Amino acid sequence: MTLELANILFAATAAVYLAASVLFVAELGGALLGAARWAPRLVAIGVPLHAAHIVVWSLFLHVCPVEGIHFALSVASMFACFVYAVARLRFRVDVVGAFVAPQALALLLASRFVGPVDDEPRLRSAILPFHVVSSLLGIALFTLAFAAAVAYLLQENRLKHKDLASIQRLPPVDALDRAEHRFLVAGFPLLTIGILTGTIWAREIEAGSLPGIARAVLSYASWALIGGVLFLRASAGWRGRRAAVGTILGFGLAMLVLAFYLVRSLMGGAHA
Amino acid sequence: MIVVVGLSHRTAPLDVRERLAAAPDALPIVLARLAGRGELVEVMFLSTCNRVEVIARVGGEDRLDGGLAAIREELARHGGVASGADLAPYLYEKKGDEAVRHVFRVAASLDSMVLGEPQILGQVKDAYDAAVAAGTLRGTLGRCVSRAFALAKRVRTETDIGAGSVSISSVAVDLARRIFVDLDERAVLLVGAGEMAEAAARSLGKGARTLHICNRSFDRAAALAADMQASAVPWEALEAELAHADVVVASTASPRPVVTREMVRRAMKARKGRSLLFVDIALPRNVEPEVHAMGNVYVYNVDDLEQEVARGLKTRHAEVDAAEVIVAEELAQFLVWTRGLEVQPTVVAMRTKVRAVLVSELERTLASRLKHLGEGDRAALMQMLESGVNKLMHAPTTRLKGRASDGNDAGDLAAAVRYLFDLEEAAAAQKAARAEGEKVRDEDELLPN
Repeated sequence: MTLELANILFAATAAVYLAASVLFVAELGGALLGAARWAPRLVAIGVPLHAAHIVVWSLFLHVCPVEGIHFALSVASMFACFVYAVARLRFRVDVVGAFVAPQALALLLASRFVGPVDDEPRLRSAILPFHVVSSLLGIALFTLAFAAAVAYLLQENRLKHKDLASIQRLPPVDALDRAEHRFLVAGFPLLTIGILTGTIWAREIEAGSLPGIARAVLSYASWALIGGVLFLRASAGWRGRRAAVGTILGFGLAMLVLAFYLVRSLMGGAHA
Repeated sequence: MIVVVGLSHRTAPLDVRERLAAAPDALPIVLARLAGRGELVEVMFLSTCNRVEVIARVGGEDRLDGGLAAIREELARHGGVASGADLAPYLYEKKGDEAVRHVFRVAASLDSMVLGEPQILGQVKDAYDAAVAAGTLRGTLGRCVSRAFALAKRVRTETDIGAGSVSISSVAVDLARRIFVDLDERAVLLVGAGEMAEAAARSLGKGARTLHICNRSFDRAAALAADMQASAVPWEALEAELAHADVVVASTASPRPVVTREMVRRAMKARKGRSLLFVDIALPRNVEPEVHAMGNVYVYNVDDLEQEVARGLKTRHAEVDAAEVIVAEELAQFLVWTRGLEVQPTVVAMRTKVRAVLVSELERTLASRLKHLGEGDRAALMQMLESGVNKLMHAPTTRLKGRASDGNDAGDLAAAVRYLFDLEEAAAAQKAARAEGEKVRDEDELLPN
């Protein structure tokens, strides 16, 4: 019964995210679809379905939803969709969904079909939940900031090339820049907590391993890069293109850190 | 029959259009005068900056010439022209189907000076409301105009007739909307006081947080500022103004750029990188082209904007055929409806007469030879009679209506029926009753969609 329900919720969530992704891509591609306005709403509809799927699926597997990197990323993508559904009403940056929806779909599928669910008691620690939750929330917000930054560069490029026929399909550059900044501001403290708790946790279980050191360096680098973007914006007026490029690089480094976990998880190691 | 008499940007110069235009508060008087002419059953007065038209319905073809003459006279009277003949060179007249088509095309902005402009629909609605309020619109014409509203919406939804920007000002506004979140919170700076810049600044400055005008001649800047509810600033303050403005419209006659890369670099530092848009519509250009390469600064010159205007116009013109197809569809539907109305009195009169004759005969027989019949038998006979009338009338009714619906002229057939059944008086009475019924129904139902 639980499995059936999980399957139904999974199929419904995947269908909704897929429909949203197709509509977003079609709209960005220039297709004048009246239905495209439904794409952000579909993402919003997907959030409770996704959340229900995570709950039911974790009940079926008897694991905590944030245990196991694949599952945890699915949670992060669900949270990104949730923040997007709320934030788009204020920032008017619907286009960010063009990245968020396919990403949520991919991570939803990955949570079901890729890799094992890890559960190594060796890695359990009291600080672990703080590390995982803050990291996941931070990643969700950086995902949104990344999507806004990419859209910004796209729109700015069109404006610089005076491609007036295409600029109507994307939000104003200022809206994208503002949204990107707000997502970074919200995500940075979470990233900071994630890195601090991660450092303590790593010292407890695997101090001194080479992958651990590399992962820590990348984490610190992404934290420093995003912190630098925020600092320079406040102090020296770093906006627009430079801020967008910094955000994309910072997000890229954070993804590399995740890649470390994923690789280790797939190779039989573990992360919780 | 619906008729249109009027003039537009295609037929009359501005001074003639100005003379005939009617302010909203003058409309009730004009409408009352027109409605007072016996030839006109319904009337509406459309007055915009590009057209003045009387759209009316005359009470039958025999009153057509008189109705048209009445409209010409009233237009001449309204415009203070000696006679309708003086206006004749500028006037166009449309009758019947062509008049309905014209009303549809006007509402759909297919006859506008700027193809696809949206204001005309609101202006037609205002004219409609004024006519309804004055009680001069109550039947077929009211239905025609309300169909025109639905048609205009269809055209805007199903075609790209309103797509793109077709003026320098609107392109500049659209451009600013793709840079800034909310134009209402922006500061606009007008550098120079040329006419085009003024037009663009009026559009961009509509609702802007501040509108400053900077000109070499401060007096000219002050005069324009007073006219536009803006603030004049001295020429020497130009660089300082760049640090505060979000949109700069430049149009000085300077032979050299008045805004240099170095000035903008300093301004951007002061404004902490906030976006800055230059709309440079001066020739030669007022803003150094290199400024466009700077981060968060966008410079669009008159060529850039005119290219977009040309693209917008091309897009709209490409949609005309699709829009005309919709007009033709709606016109055909409307004509089916009106032709159905034309035969309706004949159908009702024929049916009424046949039924009345049979009921009369039945009642006479029931009162004499069949007076012994009980209530049940009498009711059965009456039911049989009703059924017989229905069956007998079915074929002529559907054929008359079908002929009208197919777009054919059913007038001859209806006349033949009236002649054969001796219905002339009854049909006329039906027609009068229908007109009265329409009057009541229109007040309740024929509102714009």
